[in-house]
Amino acid sequence: MEIKETIDTKGLSCPMPMMKLAKAMKGLKPGEILEMFGTDPGTRADLPQWCEKKGNTLLEETEPEPGVFRFLIQKQ
Amino acid sequence: MKESEKKSVFKDLYNIFFTKHWPVWTGAVLAGILNVLMFGIVSPWSGSAGYSSWGKNLYKVVNILGFEETPSLLGNKWALLSIMIVLGSFIGALLSKSFAVRIPPFGELIKGFIGGSLMGIGATVGIGCSIGGFFSGVPALSGGAIFLTFGLFLGTVVAVKYLFWEMEKFPKISTGKGFTYLAVSQDRGAWQKWMGLIVSILLFFIAYTYFQADEYVLGWFIIIGGLLGLISQRSIFCIVRAFREPFMSGDSTGAKGIIAGLLVVLFGFVVIKTMNIGAGETALRAREMSFVHSNFWLRGLLGGFVFGIGMTIAGGCAVGTLWRMGEGQVKLWFSALGFLLIAPISSKFITPWLTDILPFNMQYKNYLPDYLGYAGSVGLVLVILGIWYWFAVWNEKSGKFSQF
Repeated sequence: MEIKETIDTKGLSCPMPMMKLAKAMKGLKPGEILEMFGTDPGTRADLPQWCEKKGNTLLEETEPEPGVFRFLIQKQ
Repeated sequence: MKESEKKSVFKDLYNIFFTKHWPVWTGAVLAGILNVLMFGIVSPWSGSAGYSSWGKNLYKVVNILGFEETPSLLGNKWALLSIMIVLGSFIGALLSKSFAVRIPPFGELIKGFIGGSLMGIGATVGIGCSIGGFFSGVPALSGGAIFLTFGLFLGTVVAVKYLFWEMEKFPKISTGKGFTYLAVSQDRGAWQKWMGLIVSILLFFIAYTYFQADEYVLGWFIIIGGLLGLISQRSIFCIVRAFREPFMSGDSTGAKGIIAGLLVVLFGFVVIKTMNIGAGETALRAREMSFVHSNFWLRGLLGGFVFGIGMTIAGGCAVGTLWRMGEGQVKLWFSALGFLLIAPISSKFITPWLTDILPFNMQYKNYLPDYLGYAGSVGLVLVILGIWYWFAVWNEKSGKFSQF
């Protein structure tokens, strides 16, 4: 699985993580994968909803270190 | 019941309340019920009055700006309520093992302070904040609250445009190393749950000391504040999301949730006002005029506009700032600092100047039932909420105004 781009939103709170994610996704082609790191608990609720609405696929959500979430999102 | 079944029941209850966030509408309806209860006890919910009390007490300690006569925040119901919202959110974050001190890049801290300062100015030059002016003011059938609502919308739209412009032109403001401390992973970190229990007991002990001193209103406000903080943290209850998301992601769940909460508050407040419930020595007219603020239109609109810009830049409204503080979001600590430092200064120096230059016909209180009757006033509020609901749902489907 090739990751095309990585964005780091650690420390940022709502709405900045989702704004940065949306901007980064605009630069990807369909099928490409974006990796995102974040610490905002609200993003964990917002991101899956947003992906579902936009048709993007949330491939993976993990917690590589305490309080830090890693998301893999594939553009539709 | 067997011991293992008891454990399973507690585990299920824990999972229901603390594993995932609650739907926004659940939090808004519960917050609405508590708002009605507060009005039944003494007065509807106010957010900015708490920040102002904190700020005035700070200036009193350092003995500047002439706030020496300010009553202690330990005897101020709004100051205590706001402190307990922070504490309640802290409990919610600990019990769900999601507490962490989250420090964003420096530019975000500055934005937090500026946003909080603008909220402090907006709440004082206008007719209150997103809670007292909007979440309590609209159901209180205040004509000024309707203008404040339009102001909040306008301010939010302008600030959303600013945020996108900033991200394009000055991305470094929100870029840089962020730091996280005291975080735990979901499958470990039981200390946060234990700490949550200890802080819960502490909160009830504080309330108990007030009850023992016959300070029943303050005692109940401490408990209600704790519940509001817990509910807000678990449901991401935030007014700014309701106003902002249609112009960002297009998501309508925040708007729908707040509308549901407003309907509950509207119903409760109208019953209290028409039946004079909990009035005590207060005359019916004074009870009716609760949270119907002076300076009903231009200042309401202007204050809402400035507050709308502030809450969007800060990333939290009056209550959103409080509960995110409890969750450990350091940007919102700076927002609260801006709010509490600037609100007293604004009310002392900017507000009197504005009052002097505005014509008298903009300064009186506008109570909608005086002009439309109760049925007409409730109908007007329902129409406005209906239009908002329709707009949020239509926009979510069409994406007409959403940016991403």
